[in-house]
Amino acid sequence: MTKLHIGRRTAIASGVAALATPSIVRAQTDPIKIATLTPLTGGGGSYGPVMAKVAASVVEEVNKAGGVLGRRVVLVSEDDQTSPEPGVRAARKLIDVDKVVAICGTWASSVTTAVAPLCWESKTFLCTVSGADSITLLPHQGYLVRTQPNSTLQVTRVGEFMLSLGDKKVFTMIPQTPFTQSTIDILNKVLPAGNATHGSLIYDDKKTSFRTEVDQALRATPDVILANGYTPDTVVLLKDLYRAGFKGKILGFAYSINQKLVDQIGQPEVVEGVYTFAPSPAEGSGAYDRVKAAVGSSNPDPYTCQVYDHVNMVLMSIAVAKTATGEAIKDNIRKVTQGGGKSVDNAVDGIKEIAAGGKVDYSGASGPCDFDAKGDILDCKFRYEQIKAGKFTLVKLA
Amino acid sequence: MLHYILFIATIGGIYGLLALSLNLIWGSAGMVNLGLAGFFAVGAYASALATTSGGAPILAGWALALIAGGAAGLVVTLSTTRLREDYLAIVTLGFAEFVRLVAANEIWLTRGIDGISGIPGPWKAALGQDFNAVYFLIVIAVVGAVFALMRRIDRSPYGRVLRAIREDAQVAQVAGKPVLHFKAQAFALSAAIAGLAGALYGNFTSYIAPDLFLPLITVYIFLAVAAGGTGSPIGALVGAYLLMTLLESARFVVAVIPAVTAVQRAALKELLIAVTLIVVLRLMPSGLLPERIPPAPRPQTGGTT
Repeated sequence: MTKLHIGRRTAIASGVAALATPSIVRAQTDPIKIATLTPLTGGGGSYGPVMAKVAASVVEEVNKAGGVLGRRVVLVSEDDQTSPEPGVRAARKLIDVDKVVAICGTWASSVTTAVAPLCWESKTFLCTVSGADSITLLPHQGYLVRTQPNSTLQVTRVGEFMLSLGDKKVFTMIPQTPFTQSTIDILNKVLPAGNATHGSLIYDDKKTSFRTEVDQALRATPDVILANGYTPDTVVLLKDLYRAGFKGKILGFAYSINQKLVDQIGQPEVVEGVYTFAPSPAEGSGAYDRVKAAVGSSNPDPYTCQVYDHVNMVLMSIAVAKTATGEAIKDNIRKVTQGGGKSVDNAVDGIKEIAAGGKVDYSGASGPCDFDAKGDILDCKFRYEQIKAGKFTLVKLA
Repeated sequence: MLHYILFIATIGGIYGLLALSLNLIWGSAGMVNLGLAGFFAVGAYASALATTSGGAPILAGWALALIAGGAAGLVVTLSTTRLREDYLAIVTLGFAEFVRLVAANEIWLTRGIDGISGIPGPWKAALGQDFNAVYFLIVIAVVGAVFALMRRIDRSPYGRVLRAIREDAQVAQVAGKPVLHFKAQAFALSAAIAGLAGALYGNFTSYIAPDLFLPLITVYIFLAVAAGGTGSPIGALVGAYLLMTLLESARFVVAVIPAVTAVQRAALKELLIAVTLIVVLRLMPSGLLPERIPPAPRPQTGGTT
């Protein structure tokens, strides 16, 4: 293998030459830069790495097929540390130094809310998987879409599911999050409408024991407890519920009750029979199969599927707009995701069709990917599972 | 690139203010304040609420942040007069958590964990892209003023009393210094500066939320002050900028390492920051610019009876 050696003089000379080239020529040969800003460390650290990986696989496929508008696509992946302060610094670097046109995959709602103003002020497009209702209500001027159904839609479905299980007394245990109050309010409406009662308590997720909280919940003698936290606190909560001898049903969101939680608890009897709930990826679709292959897993999580869709949508929007700017993506994203045209499930096919003068309608790994004016997803399926003998088994998909 | 550097330099300046605040109370007066993030939060919320819900001008918001921070500092010192060292550290840490939990749960006032978005910045609409540059100058001016004040205190008899209290409060008391009075004043001033830093942060980034005020910020600032040189204002300032440079430049260093995945790169970045700080403190245990105590003025000799 020959060793590539670039001396200082060569580097300076080529730098000067690059600057001397007229900017129009440069614009045609410069790569198009997009970014992922996912949690690679911190509380979301089990999701972010796979999300970054799947984004890289899309970019690689598109580059192999000749790029977008004849330009190569470069992906920059930064870590938001699942915290808004480092997230803002990382976003600033992506926007100002890398000059990316779109940021994909912000995960925690607090990070998305902190990063969103930087994006719309600098006309950078933002695709997020955060669920808090408040996010699409920000004055984002169209520079934001999310592929995660908002919490109103999710919680309504959870409430209906608990009613379908025949539960009459529901108790919700939830930490303080951007969706806490709306979750409680929605359940207070949905459950009484189905002749069930609802009690709730808000806990501090940084605590190391929830015995007093569990005592308080059990005083209401619930048929089912909705454990609506994140993985670390739910581990503690489920153990404390088991120790307290709770015999009713437990239901939680699949983003916290996952294989990692089962492994961390390490006692199959604690999690036996627990129900989980999640927005479902479009299983069986071509895009979903491609995500499976890209990340080497038979069961990729919904966020990974959503980031796969983010990158595909962004690249096709650039192809339709014929310019690679955040503004162009904003103006064209709905032209590739909805409104008829050739149905495609990946950017390579989509870009070919667009180059041939056709119109495309993208349906991806996470679902149909159609957005309303605020940037919320219009339709989504949900997946209900139950842990039986340590394994997640499908209850229903609806 | 310029905007990014200005942004980081502005955040660095805000960290610098926090470091000056901590240096006054920990470096000079020897009181361990693990509640720095709490005072930072009090100031940030005071200004954010005044300038959004209250419709007050930004300068009024900053003044309010100073007052709110100082008042919180006074409450904490006066309620802990009998505590020293580890015990004071625990109480102040508790104070910071208390502030964060109030911010997360008192939704009617603080909008809970959603945080407050759309906090106005000075002339933001008119300045457009130049906002970062102007704000940087404002922050530098504030840092300069606070630094001048700290240096003045450091070299004055007042600063000597604080150091005397740090070395041995009992001796200072015996020498006729009202120790509690000095401690309360220094703590309130330090907390007021932290509050102002919080206000500057909120009006700059336009968004604050309880998650911003985790104890991690306090740890960062302790590292900055320790690396810069405990007890010296210039050391604190240098330490804060050093820390910010380290946090951000680590991004670019790990970016050139070939054949690692994004997650390995993120882990390497954290590792690099930790190793650098350990090396700095191993080689220079008293920091880059250690405290130098000027000799006390000698009594005039001769000319007397």
